[in-house]
Amino acid sequence: MLDKRILENCDLANDDQARLKSAEREQFIEQLFRRNYSEMIHLARVLLGDDGEAEDVVQDIFLRITDSDIPPKRSTSGRLLPTGRKNDSYLLIAVRNACLNKIRQMQLHERVKNLLPIEDEMDLQPIDRQLEQLEEISAFVDEHLEEPHRSIFHLRFDEDLTIAEIARRLGLNPNTAYKYLAQSIQKISNHFKH
Amino acid sequence: METTRENIRQLLEMLDNPEAYTEQEIQDIINRDEDTRETYRMMVEAKRSSRQRQADKPVDVDAAWKKFNQNKQPKQHSYNWMKIAASLTFGRACSRSEEQMQASLSSRLVASFIGILLVSGIAFAAIQIVRYAQQNTSKPEEVINTPKPTNVIPTDTLTTDTIAAPQPIIYDNIPLEKMLPEIAAHYDAKVTFVNDEARQLRFRFVWNPQKGIEQVISDLNQFERLTVTLKDNQITLE
Repeated sequence: MLDKRILENCDLANDDQARLKSAEREQFIEQLFRRNYSEMIHLARVLLGDDGEAEDVVQDIFLRITDSDIPPKRSTSGRLLPTGRKNDSYLLIAVRNACLNKIRQMQLHERVKNLLPIEDEMDLQPIDRQLEQLEEISAFVDEHLEEPHRSIFHLRFDEDLTIAEIARRLGLNPNTAYKYLAQSIQKISNHFKH
Repeated sequence: METTRENIRQLLEMLDNPEAYTEQEIQDIINRDEDTRETYRMMVEAKRSSRQRQADKPVDVDAAWKKFNQNKQPKQHSYNWMKIAASLTFGRACSRSEEQMQASLSSRLVASFIGILLVSGIAFAAIQIVRYAQQNTSKPEEVINTPKPTNVIPTDTLTTDTIAAPQPIIYDNIPLEKMLPEIAAHYDAKVTFVNDEARQLRFRFVWNPQKGIEQVISDLNQFERLTVTLKDNQITLE
């Protein structure tokens, strides 16, 4: 009885492997890749701040998809179904989870140096909303911060300059640069506080 | 108010030169009060918004697809070997009833190959899915002829203290219900068995604590009989 069951399992495993390697599946993976890669790599870059790491994350997700038989949706006839935009959102969730796991494994110094979260984000918003909010922050900085606050903000976050470097660049006292940066962050924080 | 301003100033100073601070000092500075914590969170968001602007450059999907195909070959090759290793036990089980189905020579070759992989320090998931019932009625499953690794740890003395010098740990014929919670604990994850039968499945599995939890889940999924998922640090076994 047991042997028979194991033999059946052997057959099923062989069938599964054959399915996985089918040309149909290859084509499906390529479509999935081409349709979603840009958005996935964009999200990974935003969350990790490192192009190489971001690429690794996305490539690894597709390698795991290729090796598993989970993602393709099958019709009752067993044919692979083309997946629509909405259904592909699980790929962005996979990217976010993979990035957060990667960050979790980093040393504290590395996280702080790259301004990455140091604790688990408990109330994760939908990814679309999260990206929208990042755009809103950019817009807020450009529309509501006065000079030299705006320049200090861009030099700190876009060019990763230290306060001393910013002060030198703008001809300010470092204490003034500290004060302006703190005021800008406070202003953004007050605006976006839930 | 003055204190808060001073705390945030210290935070900004620390962020300019984190290497000058110990981990404890960094934690203390960020978590000194809610305003400072919120300031750090806001800076994380500000940095993300900056990256989002900068990441809006065109992506060469063709080149990425090409690279993916290059990466896929060696990875799939190793996965295939893992599949072979995992199916070896099945193959042996099959051969009990149909001995002609599996050539013993190929089994020995695969076993030797796995032995080499283990010796070279590559952690590979392998073999031995045995139903608990079978375990009770027959002699213990034969283990592939690999050189005995020095760090095979008896089940009863299995240690989870792998932080200082994490070495691969070999679970040899250990029920999943014992093995998986120990692995999960290392990653602060929880385990749920949707299917109770899965609890009694036995494996020979080489776990490398240096690997990320996702990689370990991926390794476990190489076993034909297992479907393991990870979501919100919750490992689910179907």
